[in-house]
Amino acid sequence: MNLENSFFLLMKFVIPVYLLAFIIYAIRAFKGPTIVDIILAVDCMSFDIAAFMAILAIYFKSAFLISGAITLALWAYLLDIYIAKHLVGKEVGV
Amino acid sequence: MSEILFYLGAVMITIGGICDLFGALGLLKFPNFYIRLHAATVGTIGGAVVPLFGVGFLALGADFLPHKYAIAGASFVTGIIVLLAAPAGSHALAYAAHKTKIVKWEPKCDHLEVEE
Repeated sequence: MNLENSFFLLMKFVIPVYLLAFIIYAIRAFKGPTIVDIILAVDCMSFDIAAFMAILAIYFKSAFLISGAITLALWAYLLDIYIAKHLVGKEVGV
Repeated sequence: MSEILFYLGAVMITIGGICDLFGALGLLKFPNFYIRLHAATVGTIGGAVVPLFGVGFLALGADFLPHKYAIAGASFVTGIIVLLAAPAGSHALAYAAHKTKIVKWEPKCDHLEVEE
């Protein structure tokens, strides 16, 4: 069993699961009653998009997507911290 | 040896995908923000850290991949970053939500209740 064929078989199963999860996160992001719900949904979605970019990096055989995943993971953390600081102290410390 | 790493990574990615789906469903179906934090943890740690480590192992085991050590190392680093950043971020969010009383919830008893 060639590794590459089994990898593409894995992709046929994993990619739809991830896309469905992103759609459900987006539904919560649009529906979220409060601000923190929206931010929590966007935060989870961007961490999972970072993981999905890592999977696509293997799928497209390119090492550049992974650097984007690191940046996206750090950005999602930054979003949480800025929103929390803004909600509590009405200042972001910039 | 590379077969073992490849299939270990594949299993971890599959587990990550399923955890991600459960996290998303939990985030959709839970009543208020504080309970959704449980689903958020399942969605981020199970749905992002586990697949990232899985991609790392899979990249080490995949012989068809150019730059495979770069992809494996970067995905392990991203997994560690997400492992550190996700709980800290959602904790800050929960602190902000509780301090500003945005979330409408009726607790049996709120230990963090602050009488202003």
